[in-house]
Amino acid sequence: MTEEYALIVKTADCIGCTACEVACKQEHDIPVGPRWIKVNTDPPKEIDGRLQLRYSVSHCLHCTNPGCLAVCPSNAIIKRNDGIVLIDPALCTGCQACVDGCPIGVMQFDKNKALAEKCDLCVARHDRGLNPACADACPAGCIYYGYTYEVFDKAGKPELLSIYKK
Amino acid sequence: MNNSSQERIVKSYCRGCHGGCGVLVHVNDGRIVSIEGDPKFPTNRGSMCSKGLAAMQLVYHPDRITHPLKRVGKKGEGKWQPVSWDEALDTIAGKLRQVKAENGAESIVLGYGTGRNYEQFLYRFANLLGTPNVLTAGHECYGSRIAATAVTCGKLPVSDYDNNPACVMVWGNNVLWTNGDEEIGVKLSRAISNGAKLIVVDPRLTFLAGKADIWLQLRPGTDTALAFGMANVIINEKLYDKQFVDDYVYGWDRFVERVQVYPLDKVEKITGVPAETIRKAARLYAQSKPACIQWGVAIEQNINCIDNNRILTDLMAITGNLDVPGGSVFYVPPKIRTISEFAGHRYLPKEQAQKRLGGDTYRLANRIAVLTPKAVWDAIFTGKPYPVKAMLLHGTNPVITRANAKEVYRALQLVDFLVVTDLFLTPTAELADIVLPAATWLEFDDIGDYLFRHGYISARKKMVQIGECWSDHKIFSELGKRLGQEDFWRKDVEGDLDYILEPSGLTWKQFSEIGYLQGEMEYRKHEKKGFSTPTKKVELHSTILEELGYDPLPRYQETPESPISRPDMLELYPYILITGARIPVFFHTEYRMIPWLREIHPDPIVEIHPDVAKQHGIKDGDWIFIESPRGKVKQRARLTTGINPGVVAAQHGWWFPEITSPAHGWDISNINILTDNDPAGNDPMMGATNLRVLLCRIYPVVEDLQ
Repeated sequence: MTEEYALIVKTADCIGCTACEVACKQEHDIPVGPRWIKVNTDPPKEIDGRLQLRYSVSHCLHCTNPGCLAVCPSNAIIKRNDGIVLIDPALCTGCQACVDGCPIGVMQFDKNKALAEKCDLCVARHDRGLNPACADACPAGCIYYGYTYEVFDKAGKPELLSIYKK
Repeated sequence: MNNSSQERIVKSYCRGCHGGCGVLVHVNDGRIVSIEGDPKFPTNRGSMCSKGLAAMQLVYHPDRITHPLKRVGKKGEGKWQPVSWDEALDTIAGKLRQVKAENGAESIVLGYGTGRNYEQFLYRFANLLGTPNVLTAGHECYGSRIAATAVTCGKLPVSDYDNNPACVMVWGNNVLWTNGDEEIGVKLSRAISNGAKLIVVDPRLTFLAGKADIWLQLRPGTDTALAFGMANVIINEKLYDKQFVDDYVYGWDRFVERVQVYPLDKVEKITGVPAETIRKAARLYAQSKPACIQWGVAIEQNINCIDNNRILTDLMAITGNLDVPGGSVFYVPPKIRTISEFAGHRYLPKEQAQKRLGGDTYRLANRIAVLTPKAVWDAIFTGKPYPVKAMLLHGTNPVITRANAKEVYRALQLVDFLVVTDLFLTPTAELADIVLPAATWLEFDDIGDYLFRHGYISARKKMVQIGECWSDHKIFSELGKRLGQEDFWRKDVEGDLDYILEPSGLTWKQFSEIGYLQGEMEYRKHEKKGFSTPTKKVELHSTILEELGYDPLPRYQETPESPISRPDMLELYPYILITGARIPVFFHTEYRMIPWLREIHPDPIVEIHPDVAKQHGIKDGDWIFIESPRGKVKQRARLTTGINPGVVAAQHGWWFPEITSPAHGWDISNINILTDNDPAGNDPMMGATNLRVLLCRIYPVVEDLQ
C-alpha cells in the first residue's frame, strides 16, 4: 500500500499569527469567503497548572475514510493513492452534501462559484517537490507535512485524534 | 501558481511592518504574482507573517491614490482633482517659501508615522529647510528607547538571540505578532525552542505569557516599580555582577540607595504581583547567564516612559548582560554613512534648533530632535510660541494614532496648509489640501532597515510602477531641489543610496546584487573603549539628565489616571483601560482595507473578564461602548479570563475604509478619542502620553441608539 500524506498543526506551538491563512489564500487565489485553513482563538485554559492561550486550526485532514466523499452524489470527490482528497470542480454541482458530510466541519463553499472547495494539500506544489504554502510560511514551525507516520511522530497523534472526535 | 518561463524571482526585503524579513517576489510579465519568505535569509529563514504575504493586495488595491490630488471642495469634503507632479510640487514649494518668508521655517512642521526607512530623507529635507519641528511617534515609541539608552549606556541594547540566551525576559511586548523594532519574533521562538527560560511581564495573557516559566501579571502602568523590585532582590541578595559594577558602572551607591526605596512588600502593593513571584523572577533573570530583556513599546506610553527604559537597562547592566553573547548587545552596523550624518542635523542652524516646539520642556526629547504632538496642536490653536502654518505628513494617520484624537482632528482641520503623502485617502489625508501618492515597498529601490539596530541592511527593490506613485525618498529629493537644496541631493534617489553606501565601497547596484550586508560583530566593546557616555561607564546616575535638570536616578511615578491617583473618578470610571494590544494582521492603522487581512479580523475587539461582562449584561461578541472623560467609542467584546477583572483591553488603530464618506468612521472605534494628552501627565523628559493606562466605564450598545 502506498504511504499517505498528511498535514497536521501542532497546536501547542501555534502562536495564532494567521500567516498560514494568507499563504493559503495567495497560493490558491481564494477570495474573501472560503477559508481552507483557519486559526481560531480558544478561550484561555489551565494546562500544566497554568493559564495558557492556545489556538486551534481547522483544515481538511484528508481522512482515511472521507465523510465528504461518502456523501457526494456526483462523485466529484476522490481520494488519491497518496491520500490526498480532491474535489473536481467540473463534477461538483454545489449541492453542499459534503459540507454536512464532513465530520469536522471544514468543507468550504464558494458562494460566487457555487462550488465546494477545501485544502488540496497544495498538490501543485507537492508535485513540484515543495511543501504546502502554509507550512513554508509558518513562523512557529508548527505545521507538519509529510507521510502520515512521520507527521504523527512530530505533531503528536493524540491531539489529532481529539480533533477527529469533534 | 504557474511556473511559466516568463516568471522571474526577485529577492527583496519586506516592509509590511518596519521590515525584518527577506522575501522572494515572483514577477510575471511585469506583474507581481506571489510573495514568499526567502529560505536563505538569516532572520526569517523562509517564514513570513500575514501582512507581508498579503502585500499583493496592497500594491494592486483599487483604492490606492495613483496621482497627486488637489483639494477642490471645502476642507474634508472629499472633493479632489488629479494634478501633475509638477503642479503639486510647485504649489507646495511656493507655499513653503511663503511661510518661511513670512513666519520663519519653524512654522512648517514635517511628520511621519511608524519607521519606514525614509526618516533620514525627511530629516535631511527638514534640516535643510531650516525647521526643527519633525512630528513623529518618537516621544513614546522607540525614539524614547533610543534617548533613554543613549544617556544610560550610549546605545540601544538588542537581544542577541543567535547566541543562546539562557533566559529571556519579555517585558510589555508581543514580539511574536508584532514588528521588529529590533529583532523579529521568530528569533525569540528559536531561542525558546533551544531551551531559554522565559519570564513574561504583561497585564494580559499572551501566547508567550502562557508558555512562560514565570508570568508577572502586573497592574497596568506599574512596570517601573516592578523592575525596581527585581533590582532590590538582585542587589540585596548580591546576585549582581560585582566585577562589572566595579569596572563599568557610574553612580552605584546612589542607585543602591534609590533601589532601597522599593522593598518587595511595597512593590507587591503597587504592582499586585506577589513578592515571592517577583523574587523568583529576579533570581531567574540574574542567575541565568547570559540573559536578555525583550522590551516593547507598551512600557513607553505612560508617564514613566524614560525611567522604565532606564531601570530595565540598569538591570541588563548590573547583571553583566550588556554586550555579551546571548545578552543585550550593541550590534555593529555595516560601514555606511550613519543615519544622523545623512539626516544632516548639522545643517540646521543653531538658532533654529533652539526653536523646537516644547524643546525647553521636554529636554531629553529635544536632544534627539523629537517633539511631542500636543506642542504642535497648541501652536496651531494659539499661535504660541509661534504659529504653525504648514504641515507635511508622510505615512502617518495622527487622527487615529495620537492621544486625544478629537483635538488632533480639530488641529488638522484648522492648519492653513496640509500636505499628506500616503497610499490611501485616510481620515488624516482627507483633511489635506494636497495629497501625494506614495509607493509601496515593491515600487522603489531602498536600503532596508537602515534605521534599525540588529546589525544589517538589506536591499529592497523596485518590481513594479503603479500609476504615478513615488517613493517618499523621491518626494523629499524633488521638493528639496525646488527649495534651494539642489547641492544636497543627487540627480536621483539611486545617487543618494550610492552616497549612503559609499563607505562600504559598494554602489547601490552592487549592494542590491549582494542582497544584504552585515556588520562585523564584536562583543564586550566596553573593555576596549568604555561605554559612549560622558563617564565612559553605564550611568545608573545619569550625568546628562542631571545637567538637563532632571532626577539623575530613575524613579516610579503613579500614572496620572489610575485607581490610586484618581480614586475620585472610580465611581464613574471604575475600570483600568489599556490599549494597543497587537493584532497580527494589522500594523497600527494600516491594512483595514486589505481583503485577506480584514477577513481574518473584521472588527475592533475589546477584551473584558467574563465576571465583569456578566455584571453589565455583555455577551461575547456584543458591541459595547468604552467611555472616558474625553469621549466614547465602540468595539466588540471578547470575554477572556486572560485579563484581570478590573482591566479592560481595547485595540488601537481602527478606522473603516469601507465607509466611503471622507471621515471614514474615524470616530467610531478610535480608542485615542479616550486617551489624554494633558501635558501635566506626560513623561517630563520625553513628552510621552498615557496611551496605555487610563480609567473607563463600559456598557452595552443598545441597538436603537446605534
